[in-house]
Amino acid sequence: MAENAVQRQTILSLRDTIARIENCSLPGIVRAAKAADAAGFRRGSEGTFHRKVLPLGIGPLDDLLKGGLPLEGMMEIRNAETRDAGAAAGFVAALAVLYQQERREKGHLAPVLWISQALACREAGQLYAPGLKSYGLDPERFLFVAARTVKDALWIAETALAVPVFAAVVLEIRGNPACLALSESRRLNVRARAGHVPLLLFRQAGEEEASSAFFRFQIKPAPAGGRPLPDGSVLCGSIDHPAFHLLVEKSRAYAAADIFLEWNAHDRRFYPLDERRSAALQVNGQPENPVDPLSAPAGRSRRAQPLGRLLAFARAS
Amino acid sequence: MRLVALDTLAEKIGLKLGQGAAEARAMCPALDVIAADPAADQAFLEGLADWCDRYTPLVALDGKDGLFLDITGCAHLHGGEKGLVSDLLSRLFSLGVEARATVSSAAGLSWAAARYGNMAVIEAGEAGRVLAPLPVAALRLPEETAAALERVGLKQIGDLLEAPRAPLARRFGSLLLLRLDQARGAADEPLSPRLPVPSFAAERRLAEPLMDEEYILELTRHLAKDVRASLERHGEGGRLFELLLFRVDGRVFRVRAHAAMPLNDADRIAALFRERLQAVHDDLDAGYGFEILRLAVLRSERLDPAQQDFSGVPEESQPLAAFIDKVAARFGPDCLMQASLAESHLPERAGGFAAVRNVAAVMAPPGSNDRVFPENRPLRVFAHPELVEATAEVPDGAPRSFNWRKTQYRVARAEGPERIAAEWWIDGEDHPTRDYFRVEDQEGRRFWLFREGLYGREVAAARWFMHGVFA
Repeated sequence: MAENAVQRQTILSLRDTIARIENCSLPGIVRAAKAADAAGFRRGSEGTFHRKVLPLGIGPLDDLLKGGLPLEGMMEIRNAETRDAGAAAGFVAALAVLYQQERREKGHLAPVLWISQALACREAGQLYAPGLKSYGLDPERFLFVAARTVKDALWIAETALAVPVFAAVVLEIRGNPACLALSESRRLNVRARAGHVPLLLFRQAGEEEASSAFFRFQIKPAPAGGRPLPDGSVLCGSIDHPAFHLLVEKSRAYAAADIFLEWNAHDRRFYPLDERRSAALQVNGQPENPVDPLSAPAGRSRRAQPLGRLLAFARAS
Repeated sequence: MRLVALDTLAEKIGLKLGQGAAEARAMCPALDVIAADPAADQAFLEGLADWCDRYTPLVALDGKDGLFLDITGCAHLHGGEKGLVSDLLSRLFSLGVEARATVSSAAGLSWAAARYGNMAVIEAGEAGRVLAPLPVAALRLPEETAAALERVGLKQIGDLLEAPRAPLARRFGSLLLLRLDQARGAADEPLSPRLPVPSFAAERRLAEPLMDEEYILELTRHLAKDVRASLERHGEGGRLFELLLFRVDGRVFRVRAHAAMPLNDADRIAALFRERLQAVHDDLDAGYGFEILRLAVLRSERLDPAQQDFSGVPEESQPLAAFIDKVAARFGPDCLMQASLAESHLPERAGGFAAVRNVAAVMAPPGSNDRVFPENRPLRVFAHPELVEATAEVPDGAPRSFNWRKTQYRVARAEGPERIAAEWWIDGEDHPTRDYFRVEDQEGRRFWLFREGLYGREVAAARWFMHGVFA
């Protein structure tokens, strides 16, 4: 009996450790065990650990992120092809706007730092200040660094994470460089959490790769809606707010379907695309004669499916 | 080939300046002839001038082979004028430089005595006595004037001192009298130092040369404390710092570091140089070590003392300034950029990024800036718009499909045109007009395309360009 209790305690403490590493709230059993401490003492705040989040106001996405965007730590956003870099940059910039706005509501005028590998800038185009302004970012509080190499970019990012000034730090990297592998991403994640700064890792034209990011989204462009007319109809042939197609590649919660969003720069918030349009887009993307007989995998939708079970990614960098 | 410079040994053999190299070889077959390199000579002289910074900050170059040092107020630091000259000459000798030096109250007198005399220090009243036996060439005169003086028998300066001034001026020009007065110390002669004198500086001379970077930084911190005291007295903070490292073999390294806001904190000044030294690591060859370190403030600005609150949490702009300094020290001052908007119709001129110069601008509350900027600008633009092949309605229609980077895109929707004419006051009147279209392809990618030139009026066949991508 005593042996059993020791084993149980060991398992509980291991689970506790794992939960702390994964930065999520404690699993139910551990919490129950902690609450019913044999000695009758309550342990401070460990059980009631609350992650600070920034809700996006979109049901499926907030559920996926367990409440909202995390206010610290690393997040990864990637796009598959260089020509989609505009959409992905738009999504990243939108997140930066949200973080900046969140800080402004607290009374801080916090700048956003965008670190870019020079190669990424040359391939996908340089950021354009009037465009950023019309997108909702505060151009006076937007700092930009073009780092010559990935190592320089990483150094600047790490330095910036130690400074409690920035509303968000964006690290734009092209492809899967070898010097930004799992261990480096873990290091950045730890730094970002220690500095209470959100770090948006923007991987341009990169492969899926194991990382310590809290989530990884692949962004694809989606057709935008038309401009509404006063009588409720839509102006034919016009292009309104930018829309995004989100493929959830890594997250703590299960994503049932792809998510379609629209960024409203004027309101500075995301809106879900209405049901009809997203349903049409979902159908559009499907091949007409699906030949893949395997069932859709849990948690990741419509990736090219390898046969058998995917246990670990091949190292992309 | 002619001889332009000789060493002492060659002079003893009897070789002359301006002699042909072949003739000189005939006189002395073992002669070692080196091709003259004036640029290298100049660089060497400037290196020596840098080295002379150890005695005084006021060092001026004098032609190809001389230096003027203004040692006013510095001599006592080096054991008096005699001590300074002997220290200077012995150090130069051990560096392998043959040099002559004279200290006097006038630059002209020192010049004459160093080149034609043999006195180390000339006291105030001795000018006439020292000058009298020297040849007239010691007055820094043009060659023809000197030759003319010799022709009429005025070979020594003493002859000139005794001669009446008016006839001299009439016959040889006023320059002769000016030089004469300058040599006697009767006329003032300003020296123009090659580098501006720093307003604040502190230096440390070491008995044992220093090689380790850690020690250099530690010493820099101590120097920064010394500088801080004088900065505080004047209510100023430094914006541009320079660390001078005098290597034992005579080379001088100058390491500059910019600060994003006026700075007088020793730790932060040292932190600036920590990054800077890392960045210049390969260029900074410690060799046998550094013997003198000097920290100078080259540019300073007013710094109002600010009171810290009790919690000790620094003001928000301070960590940002520290970050900017750190990045600038490592990757150069233009690395970190800030968005800048300009009033221009042309998209290339309307927005760009400029180096962050002032932290205050980043942290300042948003002003009542009511300038209206056009909406619908792309998030990313290409530095050089990329040529695309587009199919479009003539003359003003939106593109139907286009080829960009070897891929074809079919346009689903297009907005436009937005017509932007060139700025004729900058580009000239015949610069083509652009028609911008915002297009979306079938998969939802949004691009910014423009047609250069108007059909019929400006060009026969317009070209299309990809200028940017939208979110």
